Amino acid sequence: MRANGILPAVAVIALYLLVPAALGHVDYVMSLIVAALTIGGIAVAWAMLGNLGGMVSFGHAAFFGVGAYVSALLTLDAGWPVFPAMLAGGAGAAIASVVTMPALRLRGPYFALSILAFAHIFRILATELESITRGAGGILSIPVLPTVAGFDLSSKIGSYYVILTIVLMAMAGYAWLRRSTVGLALLAMHDTEDATKVVGVPSTRLKAMMLALSAFITGVVGAFNAHQINFLDPDYAFSGLWTVLPIVAAIFGGYRTISGPLVGALVIYLVDQLVFKSFLPHGHEIILGALLVAMIVLSPTGLVPLVRQTVTLVRQTVTRGHHAAA
Amino acid sequence: MGEYLKTIAIAGAITLIGVVGAHAEDILLGTHVPLTGKLARVGTGMHEGIAVAVDIFNRDNKGRYTVKLITINDETNPAKAVAAVEKMSSQGVVALTGGYGSNIIGPASEAANKAGLVYITSGGVAPGLTQRGHKGFFRINNTQGYSRAMMGLLKDMKVKKVSILYNTKEATSDLAKTVDKDLSGQGIDVVLHAFDGGTSDFKPLINKVKLRDKSDAIGMVAYENDYVAILKAGKVLKPNVKAVVGVWSLATSKMNGEFHDLVQTVYGTSMLPYPAEFTSPEAKDFAETYKKLHGKEPDYLGQFGYVQTKLLLDAILRARKAGTLSTGGLAQEVRKTDSDTLIGQVKFNENGDNPLFSHRMGQHQGEKVVLVWPENAATGDKQFPSTPWSE
Repeated sequence: MRANGILPAVAVIALYLLVPAALGHVDYVMSLIVAALTIGGIAVAWAMLGNLGGMVSFGHAAFFGVGAYVSALLTLDAGWPVFPAMLAGGAGAAIASVVTMPALRLRGPYFALSILAFAHIFRILATELESITRGAGGILSIPVLPTVAGFDLSSKIGSYYVILTIVLMAMAGYAWLRRSTVGLALLAMHDTEDATKVVGVPSTRLKAMMLALSAFITGVVGAFNAHQINFLDPDYAFSGLWTVLPIVAAIFGGYRTISGPLVGALVIYLVDQLVFKSFLPHGHEIILGALLVAMIVLSPTGLVPLVRQTVTLVRQTVTRGHHAAA
Repeated sequence: MGEYLKTIAIAGAITLIGVVGAHAEDILLGTHVPLTGKLARVGTGMHEGIAVAVDIFNRDNKGRYTVKLITINDETNPAKAVAAVEKMSSQGVVALTGGYGSNIIGPASEAANKAGLVYITSGGVAPGLTQRGHKGFFRINNTQGYSRAMMGLLKDMKVKKVSILYNTKEATSDLAKTVDKDLSGQGIDVVLHAFDGGTSDFKPLINKVKLRDKSDAIGMVAYENDYVAILKAGKVLKPNVKAVVGVWSLATSKMNGEFHDLVQTVYGTSMLPYPAEFTSPEAKDFAETYKKLHGKEPDYLGQFGYVQTKLLLDAILRARKAGTLSTGGLAQEVRKTDSDTLIGQVKFNENGDNPLFSHRMGQHQGEKVVLVWPENAATGDKQFPSTPWSE
């Protein structure tokens, strides 16, 4: 139990202290880590919706795009400071999720496809509402992350700290929710929705709450990305990649676990860009695809559970060895 | 005397070592282009031209300077383009050439600006790119140059009303609106018809043009797949127009070969006729080197990639000779550019844009693409009035 608490604490300290100390001077690698964490943030939100809400979404790009647009426009046109605008971006995405709520009546692939359709609708709206969004031409020179107490958060290390904090807060919220009574109800609902309804669990309301929360997190991540990349257009903001990559990352890392989506995003993005791309500049995605297939075949639950099982196995073997020696 | 001889001997030896050890100075040049993803075809085309410029530079400066080109595939992804710029910056590149798509060029050139690197491109025509106050950002082409060519041709045709069908993507909608403004300013009626990039059936839009607009000409501001689908719809409904005029990726050998009947007498922007005719020594050199490196005829993408890189390399050489290459003098040297190039005159304004840029218009005529506008670049007369569905 104690070991279970120490390991995340060590990981968090390493992420905050060791990574910037070791790699902070290499802008290129820090850029890739920030991009991987961005995908990781969406992956956590997506996995949370799947695990606790029992919903598989193919349309998280909708929430990412709405969050990005709301924050970018509030800072540019209304003069909002960046961080309140990012929170408003998350709130905007949560409000946008209300529009998609009629889809909550649907289940399985029907829900997934209807959310995908919403992402497409939002992209068209961003293109057509030119007076508000600047249309297909997009928005250039979106304000960068601010300098706080003399520390430039728009620098590579600053951006890293901001997105890392967003992702870790999302994971902490997810973990807390999973342990709460609401989480218990959601997990029960996940297995047998009809049975939980019979005992008085307001399943539709809880599902709506989970969708809004997942959309909020995704929206904040989208807002962060807008202020980090400083550019937005409808195709980029609502790109299907913001849906596909997080799903791949979550499944690869282990979408049933809290840390799996983040670990998956870091592994697939960094290994792909730093290793596979270096010896196969064109078509390196093939290796990534093969790796994903291999992972699903060998460990359908993902990388994190696989590592845990391996560690447990090694411990048991060592313990047995000690007993035998004694 | 002995000391004197010794001094001469040492000086001679040092000189000799210097001569023997002299080698061409390496100049690192960076490029990020989409070699995979949805812009792979255009990115590859631009990269081929960049490679030609580097090859010619190295040949002309053999023994003195060698440009080593670092290429990173940005996979049509802004975040990866930013990472590519940062990686090349850490590797010590002196400048960057390339980039395709304004949504990629925007963030990538922001990163280049932060790193203090000069960035030159022909891959993005969004007006905002040159309005950010970046001192090291340069672009050799722009929306106005395409609009000028389209408008010039339509004005020559003396048409009174034009229906413009345009894709709602960023570059195409920008251009359509600029053309609309320019044509309206010339007293020509314009009806704009926007369509989403996923549209495959244009019969409803062509019907509007035929029955409601009753225009003299159809303008298309779109991409290859859109052109093909629009022309197919035109062949079915046969609107009574005198000309069909498009922009980029239309008056090309590829379209002539693959959609020969469909594109007959259709106009599009083109810097070169097809088969290509190169008359100036520089153009001939470019074409020969292109064929040597890539085993095929050059196209407009290669031409733009070549011109932007050649201008950058010329400026690098000037800055190197002036000793200002490592002290931020390159941007000033690029700004001094005033050259007659394969795409016409290039001279940058204070924003890094090239206000002199003007495209040319070509027309598919049988197996050829004939340049028909402007008059001083024309290689033949236009067939007018005529459309692919004319009797």
